[in-house]
Amino acid sequence: MDVDTGLIEQVRRRVTIGDSLAPTVAAGVIGLGALILLIGGERVPSGSLSGANLWFIALLLVCFAVGFALMRWTGPAAVWVANTFTGQDLDYRPLRDTAPWKYLGFVAGCTFVIAALISAVQGRLTLQALLVGLGASLAMIAVFDWPFDNLLLPPNGDV
Amino acid sequence: MTVFDYIWLGILAVFQGPEAFSLFGVAISMTIVMVLSGFLLGIAVGATPGLAGPMAMAISLPILISVFGFSPDALLPVMGFLIGVMKGATIGGAVPAILFNTPGTPDSYMTTLDGYPMTRAGYAKKALKIAHFSSATGDTFSDIVLILTAPFLALLVEAYLDLPEKTALLIFSLGFIASVVGGSVGKGVISMGLGLLAVFIGTGEDFYPRLSMGTQALAQGFPIATSVLGVLVLGEVFKSLDDLWQDRRNTRETQAPTQAADQSLRWSDIRKLLPYIGRSAVIGTAIGALPGIGSTLAATMGYGSSARRHAAKRPEATQFGQGAAEGIAATEAANSSVSGANMIPVLSLGIPGNAAAVFLILATESIGGFNPGPTVFKFTTDTVNPELVMAFGLFTIMMIANLFNWTIGGAFMRVVGVMARVPKHLLLPVVLMLTLTAIYVQETRLSAMWAAIGFGLLGYLMRRVGMSPLPFVIAFILGDKLEETARQAFAATGGDPWFLFTNPIAAVLVGLTLLVLVLAIRKPTEIKP
Repeated sequence: MDVDTGLIEQVRRRVTIGDSLAPTVAAGVIGLGALILLIGGERVPSGSLSGANLWFIALLLVCFAVGFALMRWTGPAAVWVANTFTGQDLDYRPLRDTAPWKYLGFVAGCTFVIAALISAVQGRLTLQALLVGLGASLAMIAVFDWPFDNLLLPPNGDV
Repeated sequence: MTVFDYIWLGILAVFQGPEAFSLFGVAISMTIVMVLSGFLLGIAVGATPGLAGPMAMAISLPILISVFGFSPDALLPVMGFLIGVMKGATIGGAVPAILFNTPGTPDSYMTTLDGYPMTRAGYAKKALKIAHFSSATGDTFSDIVLILTAPFLALLVEAYLDLPEKTALLIFSLGFIASVVGGSVGKGVISMGLGLLAVFIGTGEDFYPRLSMGTQALAQGFPIATSVLGVLVLGEVFKSLDDLWQDRRNTRETQAPTQAADQSLRWSDIRKLLPYIGRSAVIGTAIGALPGIGSTLAATMGYGSSARRHAAKRPEATQFGQGAAEGIAATEAANSSVSGANMIPVLSLGIPGNAAAVFLILATESIGGFNPGPTVFKFTTDTVNPELVMAFGLFTIMMIANLFNWTIGGAFMRVVGVMARVPKHLLLPVVLMLTLTAIYVQETRLSAMWAAIGFGLLGYLMRRVGMSPLPFVIAFILGDKLEETARQAFAATGGDPWFLFTNPIAAVLVGLTLLVLVLAIRKPTEIKP
């Protein structure tokens, strides 16, 4: 186990509980639950995970991966494009709390995730999905950013 | 300081707290404004199928903490808002159940059975009035029971339970919740074990953060908000989205039936409903006081019990399931009377009994200065116990929320019917990103959002295999406390490894835990989280 102390430790001639005991008890509890299920004391129908469920999880993870990548890199990419046109040598990090730069990544990533999930459920990409995504991201900016100086929208705490 | 001084100080803390605005020269405290805001938001959230009170509480918490900060002055406004949401969502759930045959919250499912037939018969407004009256009555009754019992229960715990007994009480609470929540004891126990295992990552007393595999990310442990929001909120959103994805269908359009002209709720109607409301309020309060058993079971039991009585005593009247006003009254009184009673284990023992209580505990832990548990009710006569003042402040907040419920709750319920028409497939992705953004503004790391998604997937898988996530969440919240109490008990008993069995009360509690487990295995429950 990835723990440095045992179940019981002796420190300065005093016996104390070591860091291993609690995770061991937790593992024992999981084992007890498995035993209860195995010995068949239960008469309730169990749920299951279908192939379609796994596809949905994969779809969800792809949406998040693309959305978060957009969130992380749209701002720096926009600064790079601006530098190309203006000849300046700006960096995204000092601009991460300055409008409109600080909103670019959030709006792009958030709109993408929302629109992608709505489209997945509807089975087609619609303008409505994009507008809901865009409207929701702007509303979240209004809720989390405008009233507070001390809050950072994603991804501005990481850059 | 007498008891009455504490009560008075609690009331003053609410009414004389930070001022929001002045009305005709009278200062209106921020706490009252927040209770009202939370209550109205709660009704709107409850009236929206796919949303639930705990979701709104989860998303609001980081915003509230940003607004009010971490000072002691923040506690009452923040808790006022959250309690308002909790109470509002309970009555809001009845709105789509009655108007559109779609329960806004799981505990209002039984309301559809008689509420929607009343709407189809042209008595939608009257059905809403009955739901509101029953809900407000049940809620108020439950709060009164809370105020009268919580301090005494806490005093008993403090007087008779020492460290070994407190350890045993925590074990009993976890065992009880794992046994009664969900349809399977084995899965409930596994869920609890997983919660304990997750909370023990990156913690401990040694220099090396245990189970961190040498990584910095795991060395800090999982933040409580990330894991709780992930499992409870994101897990539910993922499952609902998956269901919609599989179905690929939108909310059905419903035809609005013609409504009758006279929709008033008369005293003669109320007199007929009162026995049903009273019976359900007692059932709901008793169930609400037990940790882990939620309002859905209360509603089912209240409805079932009243249905049998109604069929036996009044066979000539409209029967339950066919549009009986008594059916709505029985359900709504039962599920609403859970909200006050479930604060009994929170305030007297520090043990959250359901998802809403989890977020109340999270709020107190985030803000600090108030640790729910038996020490809150320590009556000190020479010095002021600020936690006790806060406790009476919370009781005052609950009564103010009830006052809003009685006065404007009914009218607002009738206004928010439109929320039931918001399509779930548009709403859920927005809730998902709102939750992730709320997590980010607290943690300011994209890795925290990924961790929340990981916990969301865990919550999703749990739901898919029929495992309730509630034991996981409660074990995650209580795990550290359990370990700390056990360490202290072990030290206090001179390193006695049998401390749970050598103290009579502790041994009884451990025995009860085993008994509850065995009984639950022998008779599987049908309770849903």
